[in-house]
Formats: sequence, C-alpha cells, structure tokens
Amino acid sequence: MTDELDLIGELGSAEPLRPEAYQRARAVLRAAMADPGTVRLLGPISAEDTTMETTSTMETTTTTREHESGPAIQRRRGISTLSRFGIGAGVGVAAAAAVVAVVLNSSGTGGAVAGKDSSAPASGSATVDGSTDRAPLMTLAGSIKTATPSAGDAWLVKATQVHGTKTMQVVYTLYTDGRSIYTGNSVKDIKRAITSHQDQMNAGGYAPLLRAAVAAADSSPADGRTQILKAAKDPLVGLDPVAQKAEWDREQAAAQAIIKQKGGDAKPKPYSPAAVQQHLDNALWTYSTEALSAGGGNTQVRAGVLRLLSTISAVSVTNSTTDGKATLTITAGPQLFGGEGGEVLTIDAKTGMLVKDVSTMPGLPEAATTYESSRVTTARL
Amino acid sequence: MASDAELIGRSLDDDVDAFVEVVERHEAAVGSYLARRAGRDAAEDLLGEVWVAAFESRRKYDQSYDDARPWLYGVALNRLRRYWRSRPAEDLVGDVTELATGWDPWSAVDLGVDTRAVLRSALLRLKPEEREVLRLVAWEDLTAADAARALGMPAGTARRLLSQARTALRDAPGVSALLKDRNSAKERHR
Repeated sequence: MTDELDLIGELGSAEPLRPEAYQRARAVLRAAMADPGTVRLLGPISAEDTTMETTSTMETTTTTREHESGPAIQRRRGISTLSRFGIGAGVGVAAAAAVVAVVLNSSGTGGAVAGKDSSAPASGSATVDGSTDRAPLMTLAGSIKTATPSAGDAWLVKATQVHGTKTMQVVYTLYTDGRSIYTGNSVKDIKRAITSHQDQMNAGGYAPLLRAAVAAADSSPADGRTQILKAAKDPLVGLDPVAQKAEWDREQAAAQAIIKQKGGDAKPKPYSPAAVQQHLDNALWTYSTEALSAGGGNTQVRAGVLRLLSTISAVSVTNSTTDGKATLTITAGPQLFGGEGGEVLTIDAKTGMLVKDVSTMPGLPEAATTYESSRVTTARL
Repeated sequence: MASDAELIGRSLDDDVDAFVEVVERHEAAVGSYLARRAGRDAAEDLLGEVWVAAFESRRKYDQSYDDARPWLYGVALNRLRRYWRSRPAEDLVGDVTELATGWDPWSAVDLGVDTRAVLRSALLRLKPEEREVLRLVAWEDLTAADAARALGMPAGTARRLLSQARTALRDAPGVSALLKDRNSAKERHR
C-alpha cells in the first residue's frame, strides 16, 4: 500500500557526496578542534540557535581570515585552519609550542647562541655563527629574485598535511606572477576566490607577515628580522635592554600564574641576553616559516624568508635529493625549540619552492606537509 | 558499542577522537540530508562546517538521548539556513526536485514527470514547518519525535504538523488520484 509519505519519499533521492568530501569535512573538524579560533570564526550554531547571523566568514572554503589580534597571537594559540595558512601553522605546531616553551623553559641555558651574551639583542640582531653553512640560502634567495619564471603565469601548489597517519587537510593555493594569492580546498574554490577578489596577500590575516617577508628580500638581515618580528607583534623586539628585561619578567610572571593555575610547578627562566636571543630566533623561525608556507609561491616572499632563515645560528643547511630532484634540507634542531622537537624543511634547490615540511615534538604525532607545485595559466584553471 | 551520548560526553573530557567517531557514524546520513536540501556541491562545502558547529555546541547536547542523529540534522538545518540567506536568490534551489545533479533518473522514469510536478505543487502548499517535519520523516526516516528534536520543538507539535501535512497532501490536487493509481496497479500485479 503506497501512501503520501512513500510518494514524497521517492522525491528525496540525491547524488551521494564524494568520499573525499567526507574526509575533507573530518579534516576541517579536526583542525577546528585543534584551533578554537576556527570555531570562533564560524560562530556557534546549535540546534537551539536559529537566529540569523548577518555575515559569516566561513560561507565558503575560500574564506579570507581577518583577525583583530595579530598573527603572532594566532600562531601561539595553535593550529590555524580553513585557509592556506592552516598548512603552515599545522606543520609548525611544534615550533608554535616552542615559542611559548622558550619563554617558560626553566633551564635557561641559552645554549643555542653561546658566546652572544655580551650585549642585549635589542632589535633582534642577526647571529652570524656558522653563517657559511647557511650561505646556500642567501645564494638561492639572490638567484630566484632574478630568475624568469617558466611557462604559465602562476604557481599552483597542492599542500597535503598529515599528522601521524591522519590526513588533516588538502589545500590548493594559486600564486600569480602578479603577486596575488588565492586559496581554497579545490581549484574550484580558487576560481571562486579570484572572482570575489579574496587576495590573501592583501586581505588575509597573515598579510603583515607576508609584507614583512617581501621587505626582507631587499633589506639587511638585521632590518629584515626586526621587520618581521614587529609584524608578528613580538613583545621583545626593538626594546632597549631595560625595557626588554621588564617585559621578560612580566611575561615570566604571567606564565608562572598560568602554570600555577594548571597545577604545575616550573621555575621562572631568568632574563639574559642569550635567553632573549633564543626567544627571538625561535620566533623568527616560526613566523618566517609561516610566511613561507602561506606565501611561498610569491618570489619575493620566498627570497625574503630564505634570507631570514639564514640569520638563525641554530639552522643548518645541507644538499639533498628528493625524488630525483636537487633539494636543500633546512634543519632547525631542538636547541631552537627549547630543547625539544625540531622542524625540517625541504626546498627545491633551483626555485626555492617548498617540497616538504616535517615537524616533530615529543608526545605528538609527526606533522608533515608535502607540497606539489606546478606552473599554470590562470585563465585555463 | 558506546552510544553517541557517551562519545559526546567523552569529547567534553577532551577525547576528540570520540567526537570524530560520532561524525563517522552519521556523516553519510547528514551528507545526504545536505545534498537533498542544497545540492551535492554545496553539501560538500557545508559538511565540515556542520561538524565544527556541532562540536562547538556539543555541551548543549542532551545526553539522555543515545542517538545524536536528530540533533545533527538540527545543526545541519541551521547551517543550511545561514547558507540560504547568504546566497543570491537566483542561486537557490527551492526543492530537491529541481536539482539536476541530485535527480535519480530511474525514480523519474518510475514516477513520471507529471507525478513530480504534482508532488512538488503539493509540497509547496504546505506550511514551512509542516514541510520541514515531513521531509525529516519521509526523507531522513526519522520519527515525528526525532524530527521534533531536530527542529527544537515539542514532540506533540511535530506530530500535529506531520498529521496536518499528510492530510494536506492527500487532499492536494492530483495526489489522491496518484495514490489511487499506484495502489490499484499494485492490486493488479498481485
């Protein structure tokens, strides 16, 4: 016996979602779990909440992220998601934690910058120890600035982020030779972003970092460091030693209060120029690699970041081969992260484009992002 | 096997994998629901946002209910409402029967185009809240009580709306004849 419900039921057939859509949705969820900021962007929508919100920053996956707080704060709070920048932030979670860890670290060894205690690093001045080892970065930065791009008018980069064995997200980004950046979870998203002029170079929450990285391509190393640390609103950069110590002590006290609230017990790390230098180096690595991940398809960003990384004494560079291609392996060891964890970048030895980024932190699954880059013509996407 | 309620409870104690397990149990159903209401492409865009919204509001979940699916439909419907409001009117699809990509051609053959037109017309005559309850019952296989949970209304109200909707459908032009044809055809095949 057919009734009216059966008839209506027959109208309810729908094409099933593609398997990757479920995976992508779960990745969005996992990323949001790791970064409450994502949830704030979306706004709570529960079964009980049926009120209309006038705007949403997450209406599509090509959303531009704009925050009241600076990128440094975002970065320190955890993984960013739902945009191109999530990739970098996700991979660099160990580094992000280390920014805080360096401040809270009770060991106070300052070992990463031994021999630099004689003067306060008032403006995040560049260290030069072992700079010869990092010379390939400066050389490459110089060559990619003048290189003529091959076919097409843009880089299309597919970034796949995996934590342990779990794929967290796949993000596509288009970097035009005209210096625009469009991002999304598919090429279709990118086209939508282009149509709606969501250029991350200008409008995204990380635009200040990208601008600082561009400036670093043509600045002195010391000026480049200062600019990007200021763009990230680092609390210590640019202060004289007295103000720096006061800020250091204030941050230590605040950190102690948090630790105490959580039932922990850690000794404050005493102020020293070496400890400050270690903090600034860690912050520089964190923000520079964020900029590289977010804007690495832009030649100026790439060149600027390579120059910035070459100023960090705890970074080493070696020649390597990846899938038959000449690459450079840039290693930031534990000394850059308060004694624990590390991060390894692999970049193309000719173009400087990211190939892989692996971050490790004891107690956390390895975070790896693989980048597949190709030259494309925007109009043919 | 742990109930959805237990898993949501565990997720409140920072066991995030527990919430992902809830998602995995219901993703096909919620994905289909979104596809029926907004088309596959939009559904694929919206699904992750539904999970994030559900995760954020899980503290409000009434753990006396073991099955979270009706609640998840409610979260999805609210996300759909935001989506519909954000889209230009010309982009919106008023009914699943208009969806080119969502249409099952074999159902179309069985029902016939005229049948679709009759049913679409009948659906449009219903009040919006009657349509919502009816869709959840007819398409998502919920009981009236579960539809009530999804829509945040008393169960008695959902039952009344469903009853009204069914009566209105039966009385709608063409539907009565359609039912008569269907049932008499079945009789002939016995």
